[in-house]
Formats: sequence, C-alpha cells, structure tokens
Amino acid sequence: MMRGPPSVSRRLLVAVALPLLLFFVLTASAIDYVFRQQSTAALRDRLEEQVVALVTAVDLGFDGKLVVNLLDPESRLDVPGSGQYAALRDDTGKLLWSSPSLAGTDLVLGSKLPVGGVDFRYQLARDGSTIAEMSRGLQWAYGSGLSKKLVFTAADSTAPQMRELWVFRQRMAGWFGALDLVLLATMAWMMRRALAPVRRLEEEIAALESGAASQLGEGYPRELAGVTSGLNALLESERNRIVRYRDTLGNLAHSLKTPLAVIRASLGSAESDERRSEAAIQLEIDRIAQIVEHQLKRAAAGGGATFGQAPVPVLALLSDLRAALLKVHASKDLNIEIDAPPELGFLGDSGDILELLGNVVDNACKWCRSRVLVSARFDPDRGLPRRLSIVVEDDGPGIPQELRTRVIQRGVRADEHVPGHGLGLAMVRDTVTLYGGQFFIDASPALGGARVELRLPGR
Amino acid sequence: MRVLVVEDEASIREVLKADLSAAGYSVDLAADGEEGLYAATEYPIDVAIIDLGLPKLSGFDLIRELRARGKTYGVLILTARDRWQDKVEGLSAGADDYVAKPFHFAEVQARLSALLRRTGGWASAKLACGPVELDTRTQAVSVNGATVELTSFEYRILEHLMLRAGEVISKSELTERLYEQDFDRDSNVVEVLVGRLRRKLDPDELIKPIETLRGRGYRLSLPRRPA
Repeated sequence: MMRGPPSVSRRLLVAVALPLLLFFVLTASAIDYVFRQQSTAALRDRLEEQVVALVTAVDLGFDGKLVVNLLDPESRLDVPGSGQYAALRDDTGKLLWSSPSLAGTDLVLGSKLPVGGVDFRYQLARDGSTIAEMSRGLQWAYGSGLSKKLVFTAADSTAPQMRELWVFRQRMAGWFGALDLVLLATMAWMMRRALAPVRRLEEEIAALESGAASQLGEGYPRELAGVTSGLNALLESERNRIVRYRDTLGNLAHSLKTPLAVIRASLGSAESDERRSEAAIQLEIDRIAQIVEHQLKRAAAGGGATFGQAPVPVLALLSDLRAALLKVHASKDLNIEIDAPPELGFLGDSGDILELLGNVVDNACKWCRSRVLVSARFDPDRGLPRRLSIVVEDDGPGIPQELRTRVIQRGVRADEHVPGHGLGLAMVRDTVTLYGGQFFIDASPALGGARVELRLPGR
Repeated sequence: MRVLVVEDEASIREVLKADLSAAGYSVDLAADGEEGLYAATEYPIDVAIIDLGLPKLSGFDLIRELRARGKTYGVLILTARDRWQDKVEGLSAGADDYVAKPFHFAEVQARLSALLRRTGGWASAKLACGPVELDTRTQAVSVNGATVELTSFEYRILEHLMLRAGEVISKSELTERLYEQDFDRDSNVVEVLVGRLRRKLDPDELIKPIETLRGRGYRLSLPRRPA
C-alpha cells in the first residue's frame, strides 16, 4: 500500500497525545521537585535533632576531657559503616571525638566553624552513597562561667531518602502512565465515533464508483451535509446532462429525417416545374437549419448544474439586455422598465439565464406597442431553497390561449414551426424544466398584453 | 453606400459581396479582424457587417476598437451561435444590430438599410424631404407624389444625400461611396449624375433640391419631414 499523508484520525490522535504527554511530564517534574524539597527539609530537621542529641550527650570527664555518653545503646553511631555518623571538634578544628561508626570509612566530618556558624553539605562516601552532614559551632557551658567553643557535627547517609524518592517516582510514573493510556484510549474511541460519518462517506463513494449506488445517503451531520448534498446535485446534473445529450441526438436524427425525405422526394420526382421543387427544397433547408439551431442551443444549456457556481446577478444582466434590446428595436418607441432588487441572484449558468431572458424579453419587445415591464422577486410562495420569480409583461396583443397550452404542454417540440410568440417559448420551457423551474403564460393585468413568468433557483 | 464586410469564411464573404453589390452597395471585404480594423478606420465606410468569430482580432474587440477610434457608423454583427450572450456582448461592445447565421440576404439588407437610416437620423424606411420622397425598401422615388424613374447610380447618390439631408457631402466622398477602392477619382461622373438627378427631380427648376457649394460639395437642402 502506498504511504499517503497520515489519516485524519492519526493526525488528531497525535495532536492530542503530544500536549497530553507534555502536560504529564511537566506535572510529574513539578511534583518530583516538591517531593525532593520536602525530603531535603526533613533530612535537615533530622540532622538538627541529632546535633542537639550530640550536644546533650557531651559531658566533661574527671580528667577534664570531654566524653560522649550515647544514651541509646542501640544507636547506629556504634555500628561501623552504619550510615549514621557524628563528630566533635574544638574551635581550632581539632578532632576531639568521632563516632565509632566512622571506622573504616575514611570520611572526614566537620570543620572549623565560629560560634553560631551552621554548615550543611554533602559528600560522597567510598561506597558511592551520598552523605549529608550538618555542623554547628556552639559555646558549650560546663559550669558557672566556664565554657568551651565546640563544633558539633551529625551526618547521615541519604540512601534511604533516595530509595524513598525512587519508589515515589515509580509510583507516580505508573499512575500517570495508566491515566495517559486511559485518556488516549477514550480519545481514540471518541474520534472513531466522530469520524464515523467520514468513514461512511468513504464507503458510499466507493459504492458510487463501483456502481452499486447512484446517490449518497441522507442523515449526514451538518458539517458534511453541504458536501454530500452538493455531490448529489452534481451527480444528478451530470446524469441529466447525459440523458439530455442522448435525447438531443435522438431528436436530432429523428427530426432531420422528415426534411431529408422531402428533399429526396423533390429531387427524384418527375416534377416538371423546377422552381416549385426548388422552393420546396429551400423550405426544407430552412427547416433543417432551424432544427440544428434549436438542438445546438438545447445541448449548450448548462442545465441546473449549480455546483461551484456563484449566483448570477440578475439586475446587472437585465440592464445589459435592456441596453442591447433598445438598440435592436431602435425603430420602435420602446420603453423597457426593470424592477428588481440588486441582491437577486440566479443559481446556474449565466449563459442560460441570459438565453431565457433574451428570448422572453425580446418576444415582448417585438409584440408590445411601447411598454415592456420586467420584474424579478424572490418567490414568496417558497421557503428554502429560495427561488426567483421573473415576470415579463407587455402591452401587445397577448398570446392566444391555444398557443399557450401548446407551448406549456410537454412533448411539443420547439423546433416544430410555431408562428409568432411561440418561436422561442418552447425553447424557454425546455431550459426552465432543466433547472427544475416553472414556466407560466397568461395575460398581464397591468399592461393588457402577454405575461410570462419564470420560476428558477436563486439566492 | 459603402459597406465593409468582415467575415473569415470565404464563401459567405463572396455571397455577401455579390448580393450587396447587386443591391447597390459598394463593398469592401476583410477576412480577419486586423484587416477589418484597418479597413474600418481607413476607408470612408457608411455601415459595417462584422462576424463575431474572427481570426487575429475577435469581432467584439474589433467593434470596441473602432468605436474607441471615434467611428460612429452602424455596425451589424453576424453570429454563428445564436446565443443571447454573444448578442448582448456584441451590442454592448458598440454594435447596433445582429443577424444570426444562417441568414437570408433579405434580412441582412433590411437591417442594413434600417441602420443607415438610423445613423442618418431617420426613423422609418421612407425618407421625405420637402416634396421628394424616397422608399429605401422599394427604392421608389417620387416628387409631389409622381414617380420618378432613376438609374442605380442616380438612386445611390440621391439616397446618400437624403439620408444625410442638410449636411455638406464632398464630391470625393460621393465618388468613394459609389465605387470601390480603385476608382479613377478624376472622373466627373458625379457631376454628370448630379446634373441628371436635378433634371429628373426638378425639370422646371422650381424646388432646387440639390445645392452645389463650390469647392466643398453638395447638399440636399430641402427640409426633412415625416413621411
């Protein structure tokens, strides 16, 4: 399998997991720091206590020498290398006493300190463990007015403390790791659920490709509904287009047969009057030209493909058309009024709407006495999606009832020769139908002539 | 009247030339947009027929360009694809009317003469100045209601003068409009034709329809009136 860009769910998972991991590491470090601070403080307190104990244990012997009476017989100070040590020095730094536990450790405890001085330090023992030591310089009184300047030192191995720290760290890592896993698993599960419609879309498109389905299903969440309904519209319009092309070809071939047959008959006949057969052929050639023209237009109509098209501004289009028609009908004292809000847009091909309006408004200009009124609105009868209603009225003789029904009826082909008003109207009907719109012809109450209404998709 | 035909399809160009010549126009031909622009701006054209799908310079651009260069004569467009999009764009570019292909020559002729009348300031197909009436459709001429028979050349001169009644038209302009490019300009055919026109329209020298302005040309000085 080709390695493409990572999948959406993987991206999301990574995007969530990385900050989560960072958060846990930072939190763990902070907790670890606090823990270490506290255990160091506890160590200092303990050493402080030991220094005090040492102070109380020191006494002046009969020989005037100092003796240390360790009260606790099980004190670790008596056990060599036990990890707990103590020492006593005078103010010149001379060692007066050290605990038996120091034997064989070559640790040097304590140093020269002035009275009131405090020293806390770490040193490394031979066995690799770290020793924390605390020294205090004190004025030690042993009788009224008699005192000595002494330095008391207590030391302790940090090994138990380190062990405690490691246990704590292991536990913390365990808990955080478990929490992390639970969170990620939950997230992955939620993502699977959230992306289920995408996966469904993928499957449905695969079904479309293989031909197992012709449309995408309903019920997609709002974020995807736009895509799926747009895709459905595109599929639908493509399918319609294919049907239309097939129909066009069929119609074309079919409708060309008759004039061709007439021409052949005229050429082959023993008609003595050459001019009459020439006239007949001329008539059929005109008919063929008309058929070709009509079918070309039909085939060119975009036909409802509203996918990826910006709405066509209707007012601007009408203004251009008006200027053009005023030129074409310059010999007439023509007055074309346009009544349309500027925000009105047609959803579809700009060539198609221009073709529709061109046919209808041009017809009105041809047949009117002097006035043509074009009004465009959003269709008030409908909710969403919005539709346009474009009404073209004139003050001409109007369209006879018989012609209205012929044009409106489906199945009447526009290339059948319909005189006058009907010429472009069947074509208009076909295009309106392609857009799923409606087309009405009646009499204009305002101007007295024809009234043609188009209802089309708009925005 | 001198008409320019810009059309890339040779057969249509030749048919138009033959039909237009037969109808009394002098015809200039151009096969592409650039050639058309040259003719449209350099020759004294009265009306132009321009195909929209032209090589080198499209019909739309050709029309825009000749309008930009101040040419105001009528322009009739020929469209192969009879779509309103083309018509509206062509008319917006500066054309005055359109004919869709395939066309009947009668339609082209009707629209041409309508354009010529419109650019001359006439509203209908019948031109009337004082007692002289001229019907551009039937090419019939009458004075005080009595029909006057004119030759083709005489008719063309009268039509030109009447379409632009009130304006001074030079002799060379009349010559150019009667014949195509390579005419011998020194000939005094126009003087002869104008003389014959005067005798036919006004045998008794009562209405004096055509004024001669020495060194400047001719003017139809009768007042225009609705026919």
